[in-house]
This record gives sequence, structure tokens and C-alpha cells, in this order.
Amino acid sequence: MGLAQNLIFGLVTGSYIAIAAIGFTLIYGIVNMINFAYGEYLTIGAFIGLLSAGALPLPLPVSVVVAMVGGGIASILLAKLFFTPINHTGPIPMLLTSIGLGLVLRNAIRLVAGRSARYYDTETTTWQFRNVPDLSVGPVDLLGGFFVTSQQLIVVGCALGVFLVLHTVLTRTDVGIAMRAMSDDEALARVRGIDTQLIRNSVWVLAGMLAGLSGVLLGIQTNVSVTTGFSQILQILSAAILGGAGSPYGAIAGAYIIGVALALSTAFLPSSMTGISSAIAFAILVVVLLVKPSGIAGAEVREA
Amino acid sequence: MSVRDSLPAHDSDTALVLSVVAVVLGLAIAFTPVTATIPGDLYVFFEVGILFVVYGILVLGLDLQYGHTGLVNFGHVVFFAAGAYTMAMLSAVDSFEGIALGYPWPLGVVAAVLVAGLLGAFVGATSLRLRGDFLAIATLATAEIFHTLFINFTDVFGGTTGIFGIPTPLGDVAGTRDATLVATLLVFGGLTALTFAIVARLTEAPYGRVLRAIRADELVTRAVGKSTFRYKMESFVYGAALAGFAGAIFAMYNGAISPDFFELQVTVTIWIGMLLGGASNHRAVLGGLGIIMGLRLFSRFAQGSAPVTAGEFASIRLIVVGLILILVIRYRPAGIWGDERELEVDS
Repeated sequence: MGLAQNLIFGLVTGSYIAIAAIGFTLIYGIVNMINFAYGEYLTIGAFIGLLSAGALPLPLPVSVVVAMVGGGIASILLAKLFFTPINHTGPIPMLLTSIGLGLVLRNAIRLVAGRSARYYDTETTTWQFRNVPDLSVGPVDLLGGFFVTSQQLIVVGCALGVFLVLHTVLTRTDVGIAMRAMSDDEALARVRGIDTQLIRNSVWVLAGMLAGLSGVLLGIQTNVSVTTGFSQILQILSAAILGGAGSPYGAIAGAYIIGVALALSTAFLPSSMTGISSAIAFAILVVVLLVKPSGIAGAEVREA
Repeated sequence: MSVRDSLPAHDSDTALVLSVVAVVLGLAIAFTPVTATIPGDLYVFFEVGILFVVYGILVLGLDLQYGHTGLVNFGHVVFFAAGAYTMAMLSAVDSFEGIALGYPWPLGVVAAVLVAGLLGAFVGATSLRLRGDFLAIATLATAEIFHTLFINFTDVFGGTTGIFGIPTPLGDVAGTRDATLVATLLVFGGLTALTFAIVARLTEAPYGRVLRAIRADELVTRAVGKSTFRYKMESFVYGAALAGFAGAIFAMYNGAISPDFFELQVTVTIWIGMLLGGASNHRAVLGGLGIIMGLRLFSRFAQGSAPVTAGEFASIRLIVVGLILILVIRYRPAGIWGDERELEVDS
């Protein structure tokens, strides 16, 4: 496989990490917490999408929407139950609570769904778009040099769509502008009459929807199992911190850097060492925290 | 004058006495032909008990870091693993996989403490300036990196199989399995008491007051002329070295180690024990750990009569553990025996 092929993998990986990392970084910026349970939100989304596409069965694009709505509802409910009541206690109790919540969710999902991996049946959930060439037949030979599957195109396309919508929301809508204001200075935002609780709730819903979407895309690429989201959390975290915690645009950049780095590492490492590629994201995270803890475009995270 | 008056006044002295008694008693059982017989049902008490005292050393070290100095180390398991792997690689004989050099075990113990301490110094030097939650993430990521390395570098760390053939000196002299368990529990318990004595002595001294001052307000502490970074570093390295020691003795009890023993789960258990009991109080953190480990013990008994499979039962147990963590932080943020004013928590 050539370098170009690996770059494609990197872009795809970067895409679903980016979608999740935006949600993660919005929670960090607005609610001021590192939500370690966020990976489980992806798993929840992936399973809801799977149930919708497999059990009902609804067409895949509809199932994606169902998973996003489900993810949003799950996120706001969990926030109301677990995080909002301790909002005033500071970042450490919030982080510890999220670690406990992650443990609870992961094992609850395992209890219900079991350990085995499930698959989105991409044959029966063929893309129903009109006027679009049927991409589900298999790898598309692009430029004669490398292959792109329809699933990969869908993932990258969804990511671009998300970025566009996000940018519009953040710059054109009242809620989005309020989010940015709160992320910069919450006290000032409150003085200016922003309903901070409302904005927090919107962020929880938005982050849950992004997690749902990312979970389904991840599920289509690989499979759905109880560890689907958990296996991504440190990469999401790395992307968010690399981009500068709290900055959505930074998170996107961070996610693609992580994605490409992961893909290139598999190209250059001997085959017996491919297992350590997952450690690469964490290594990037640690290095970034040490060298430039504020990330590409973020707030200060050092105390002194 | 009652018996009570003749007991040592400080926790640290009591623990020291207890430590010597337990170690001597344990070694006596190991070296003399006294045979202890454990009824079959009670084995699990000894197995969980030994794990409790090993984790006890971990929680005392973690409490030095978090309870006293306010350092949020969420990768404590990596120092435990560093000690165990150093011990294993240096002293194991004829391991199936990985490095096994076959040096005498005392060398392994010393090296385990040094390696864990050095790793602590490295992690501390690079991340102790980070804000609390980012320090947590950096340490957690470090632990995950090492976990991946343990699994993937089969030639060095034995991969998923781990390293076998680690010397078990207590087991060798004690002979029978029952005597080994009793002796191990006593000797390890004595070592935990010794750790308690050392840590308590350290925190009762003015040194401990500086650590708690850093926790309460680092800026003020620096303003009165204390090099807070140095104190934080020392506290972090002491905790890491203690974890390395715990790892070394754990390896010598088990005789074999694998990555399974060193997962995030260990960190979570230690943290819950510390928070449940009440951080910054040595007796309280051990009490909290005892409750969590007691739950493990109880659940082993309950599993027999529960109408679910072993896998489902394990999931339910972890759900309960997670809920305990959430509920403690929400309703008893200073822990069961903790001092709310000391911790400055807002409950």
C-alpha cells in the first residue's frame, strides 16, 4: 500500500475523530470539564444507529439521524443526572465523576449487548441517494493509484458537512455566538444577559448529537462493540488538547493531525509493531501537554 | 495507668510496632514447620486480603500525592506496573516470553523501587506544572502508553502472556500453600504498616504541613519562600517509589505477571478507596480501600447464588463500583472519615 492510501486512511480516521472532538471540546469550553465518559456516548450512538438500521430496519441515512437524536437525548439526560448537580465543585470532581460514569455506562452496555462485535450490514443498508452513482459496490479506483470505499467517502463527507454547519451555527446564530462568549468569559457572558444554563444544556445536546454521528460512522468503518467509543477516547482527547482545549476549530485540526499520524505510523512501523500505533496518539498528547500545553489555539492550562 | 497509656502516642509509632510484630510473626510461620490449615471457604479471604495490603501501599502513596499535595495522578497503576515488571525482568528464571535475567530477588526489589521512582521523576518533571485536570489526563495517558508497550513488546515484556518464573521467596520457605498465604498476608501486612509509619511520620512533620499548604494554596506557599515545585516533585516521586515497591512484592507473591494485572481498573479502585475513606487521612484511605475490597470479597460469595453468568456479574460489580465513585463525590466529597475543612471541599 502506498503512502497515498495511508493518507486516505488518515483523513477518514481524522474525520470521525474530528466530529467527536468538536463535541468534546465544546463541553470543555462551556461546562469546563474533561468528560472522560464521552467515548461511551459514541458507543451509545453506534448501538442506537445499529438498532435502527438493523432491527427496524430504517434506511441508513435515517438511522444516522436517529442515532444523533438518541445521542443528544442521552447526553442531556446524563448531564442533568450526574454533572449539573456538581457543576460548582470544580474540574477535578467533574472529571472523577465522568470516569465513574464511563465505568457504569460501559458495563451497562456490556450487560445488555454482550461482548461480541456487531456489524452494520452495508449490503442491505445501501445508500438510497438518488442521482448519486451507487458507491456501495466496493472500492472505487481513484486516479489509478489508490482505493476509496463508499464508506470512506461518506465519513469524510459527513465531517465536512458538520464543519460547515458548525461554523454557521457558531458565527450566525444567537446560541452559537453565546457559546463562544461563554467559552471566553462566563461571568462576562452572564452579565450581558446570556442564559448560561440554557447554553450549557444546548452544548450537552449538541455534543451528544456529534457523538452519536461519530459513533455510527466509526461503526460503519469497523464494527460496533462495547469498547467502540472507549477505544477512541484518548484519541479524541488528544485531538481536543492538541487543538487547544475549548477551541472547535483547533479540535478539527488536531483530529486530522492525529488521524494522519496514526495512519502513517502503521505505514512505517514493522507489522509486528502495529499494535503500538494506538499509543502514538497518547504520546502526541503527552508531548503537546509538555511543549505547548495551550495547544494550537486554546486557553492556558498551566497553573504557573 | 492503663494499657492504653503505654501505647505509642502517634499513629506512626503504633504502625511501626504493628509492622514489626506482623513481619516477625509472618516470617516465623514461614520458617518454622508450623503448619497452618485454612478451611477451603476462607482462601478467598486471604487472597483478597493480600491484594488489599498490596493496594494499601498504593493508596498510601497516592494519598501522599493527592490527599496531601493535591496532585491528581490518574496513572498510579503505571508505577505499580513499573515495579512489578522491573522485578520480573531482573529476577525471573526461564520465563516463556520476555526478558528474564535471573538475578537474586533483593536486587529486583531495590531496582523496582528505583525504576518506579525514576519514572515518577520523569513524569513529574514533565507534567507537574499542568493544571489539575490536565495532569490527570497526562498521567492517565502515560499509563495507557505503557500498557500498550507491555502488550506489544513481546520480546521485552512478554506481551499478553507476561513474564513467568519470578522467585517467590516466602512461598519457597513456607512450603505448603496454606502456610504461604498466612505468612504472605502477615509479612505484606507488616510492610503496609511500615509504609503507614513512614508516610505518617513524614506528614506529621513540618514537611507534611508544607505539602498541605501547597494543596490549599500554592501561590501563597510560594510567596512565603517555599520551592513548591520541589516539594511537589518529592511527593510525586515518593508515591511512585512506594507503588514500585508494591509492584515488586506483588510480583514475588504471584510468581508471574501479565498486563491484565495493570489496567485502568487498578487506578480506579485505589482512587475510589481513597475518596470513599477521606483523602489526607491515612487511616481513612485504608478504611475506604477496605470497603471497596470488602465489596469484592462479598461479591465473590454472592456470585455463587446470583442467577447471572460470571461475565454479567463482573459487569454488575463494576457498575456498582462506578456508582459508588459518583455518589461519594456528590454526597460525601470529603469521604466517610475525611475532614471537610482540611480538604476545603464544598459539599
